[in-house]
Amino acid sequence: MADFAVATEGLTRRFGELTAVQDVNLRVSPGQFFGFLGPNGAGKSTTIKMLTGLLAPTSGRIEILGLDLVANPVEVKRQIGVVPEGMALFGRLTGSEYLNFAGRMYGLSRETTAQRAAELLEFMQLADRPKTLITDYSHGMQKKLALAAAVIHGPRVLFLDEPFEGVDAIASGLLKTMLQRMISRGATIFLTSHVLEIVERLCSHVAIIHRGRLVAEGSLEELRAGIEAQAPEIAAGSAVASEKLTLEQIFLRIIGETPMADQELSWLR
Amino acid sequence: MAALTFSPDERAQMAAIAHLRWRIFVNSLRSLRGRLEVVSRVFTALAFGVIGIGGMVGIGVASYFLVSRGNSEWLALPLWSVLFFWQLFPLLASAYAENFDLTNLLRFPLRYRSYFLVRLVHGSLDVGTAIGILWLLGMVAGIGCADPALLPWAVVVCVGFALMNVLLARMIFAWIERWLARRRTREVIGILFFLIIIGFQFIGPLLEHFRGRRAPVAIEGATRLLPLERVLPPGAAASAIAGAHHAQILWGAAGFALLCGYCALFAWILNLRVRAQFRGESLGESSAPSQTATRKGEIERGWKLPGVSPPVAAVFEKEIRYFLRSGPMLFTVLMPLVVLLIFRFTPGNPRHGSGSFLGSAAGLAFPAAAAYAILILTNFVGNNLGPDGGGVQFFFASPARFRSVMMGKNLAHAAVIAMELLLVWGAACLIFGMPSLPITIATLAGALFAVPLNFAVGNLLSLFAPKKIDFGAFGKQKPPSTTQFASLAGQVVLFGLAAIAFLIGRHSAGMWVTTAILLALAAVAFGVYAAMLNRAERVALDRREALLAELCKA
Repeated sequence: MADFAVATEGLTRRFGELTAVQDVNLRVSPGQFFGFLGPNGAGKSTTIKMLTGLLAPTSGRIEILGLDLVANPVEVKRQIGVVPEGMALFGRLTGSEYLNFAGRMYGLSRETTAQRAAELLEFMQLADRPKTLITDYSHGMQKKLALAAAVIHGPRVLFLDEPFEGVDAIASGLLKTMLQRMISRGATIFLTSHVLEIVERLCSHVAIIHRGRLVAEGSLEELRAGIEAQAPEIAAGSAVASEKLTLEQIFLRIIGETPMADQELSWLR
Repeated sequence: MAALTFSPDERAQMAAIAHLRWRIFVNSLRSLRGRLEVVSRVFTALAFGVIGIGGMVGIGVASYFLVSRGNSEWLALPLWSVLFFWQLFPLLASAYAENFDLTNLLRFPLRYRSYFLVRLVHGSLDVGTAIGILWLLGMVAGIGCADPALLPWAVVVCVGFALMNVLLARMIFAWIERWLARRRTREVIGILFFLIIIGFQFIGPLLEHFRGRRAPVAIEGATRLLPLERVLPPGAAASAIAGAHHAQILWGAAGFALLCGYCALFAWILNLRVRAQFRGESLGESSAPSQTATRKGEIERGWKLPGVSPPVAAVFEKEIRYFLRSGPMLFTVLMPLVVLLIFRFTPGNPRHGSGSFLGSAAGLAFPAAAAYAILILTNFVGNNLGPDGGGVQFFFASPARFRSVMMGKNLAHAAVIAMELLLVWGAACLIFGMPSLPITIATLAGALFAVPLNFAVGNLLSLFAPKKIDFGAFGKQKPPSTTQFASLAGQVVLFGLAAIAFLIGRHSAGMWVTTAILLALAAVAFGVYAAMLNRAERVALDRREALLAELCKA
């Protein structure tokens, strides 16, 4: 497990009778852009919360950059950046104040924090509203700020829970540029998203969780090859023989659900 | 006539809305908090029932005597009391009331008149309206007993008066809602509103202060303006009844017509607001004018606190910024000064020969105000993660220890309390004269004892009973009832011990003994605080799930 940026062993989380995540064994190599997919309620957010220390696992082990999360929580958190589900912003600070706060919480000096905060606000196109409180930001602006705060300390692993949700095309383009720059610098990105086109374009590796269990993991090519090997008729059924299966097709095939095109609603016939 | 009837579809929509409200209420009973809320509302309703029935009897008796003695034009007095209560009570209670945003209904194919009616009826289902109606029933009963022939007309006028009140209250709320849609306006109006409420506290003491002196010119001027009262709604309603009572039909009809005119006017102004909403007006902050661009690298550095680690300094800075941007918090700082002023103007016991409430114990003004300052600030100390809301996730995701987070928050609160003590000392000096040095030092020793213990308890309460609060909105800082209860119990013990120390000093050995006792207690308090702070780390980790669930919910 030591060679991986993120690794879990038997990761399980129960909420009373409900098992949200069961026996998940993940392996994410350093430098990977890793997409963690699953239908609603599959256990994605629960997993990412456990990986970032926001939620204690019921059982199992988590290692981030070779460090056990339970034994070394502070050291692990120093090396990771997180954009959690609710973005974790402090609404009554301005964007620059929040970045200043975040930088120092991650142990950066005041000078470094101020300099990076200025650059990040400029890059994220948030610098033109210096006096606006975060609570008055639009949803997209808040997402950009949350990402800026997550990367201000230069994390080696970045966890993003639905970073593109509710973000317009311009902001989405900015976020993608930033994430690709981080990958080129050797960072690892662990991302959950419902927007499969984005995941397909950005991620080199994908894992799919369904009903709390990890049902597939590998590069896109590996997943595609796996599907085609299991069911050659699907590949053959593509409109153009040379056309590859999309991530959406792979995803639907793996979780065993198909869009119910033939099913009708009685009042829509 | 067709305009006044509703189609089956419209009736079904309104039934659906009523059912929705009912289901929201029933579903709220699923949680323990919801059930406790209902229990507390039952008790509140009993208290309001006493006000309602007491007022109804009082107004009924007053109306009976006014009509039976031929002074029916004086019915304006009880009508004014009904109007004041009806209009002011919902304003005072609104901060604590559960709000249901009716604009959510606009996505459904609701006709305007249905929407208007829903807004009117839904908004009127409150205590103010219920008590107002009870009081008017009392008035009708009183009039009916005094002059049965007048009863039908009194019923008509009182129904008109009730309708006018409903429309006026809804109109005021609709416009306040419009003005409060922007956060900044909301905060400014909140501060003004509370200053007015504070102003009411001074009415009694000021009247007492000016008793026996010649009434100020302004009051005389106001007295001359009293005839104008007859054209205002209570005066018009009273004229309508009095006209019928004195067989002056024209006078009565004019009064009633004026009352109907007010109903039409308020309905029209309300309609302007509701129609704008119906057409989909947006009152969000997004249309706020953008501010001037900043130059690259213009960002200020964070604060530097000597001898304090960067995370503690960062949390301290964040807390102070939150404090300075919170109207309610700044208002809190003013309250002990206001209390000192009230003490000053409240007459004391004449036997003591002193002009003020504190009488011969004026030297205790500083300790009393200091104790009050600590008492009210503990409300925020006991739920110190509440204002962070979803931001609390950041603390768990960052490498900073929770101990540092709590320490940063406590340091910020300590700074506020220190500033507050300085302010109340200055105010006490100005209003009551400088407190003696032994009393000043004993008070500071008392603060050294009370503050760390409050922080220790507050940190634990914040972790065990968190509640998301809005720092910027008035009335949204109320901590959970468990915290309030625990905090109150803690304060009784703390202030009890401090009071015993003061009594020992005052009646026997002198204030220096009080100081020594309080400093010894302070040493213990710091030990307890340090132990609790160390424990906070573990508790926070163990409770993170509950904390995040409570503070991150929408």
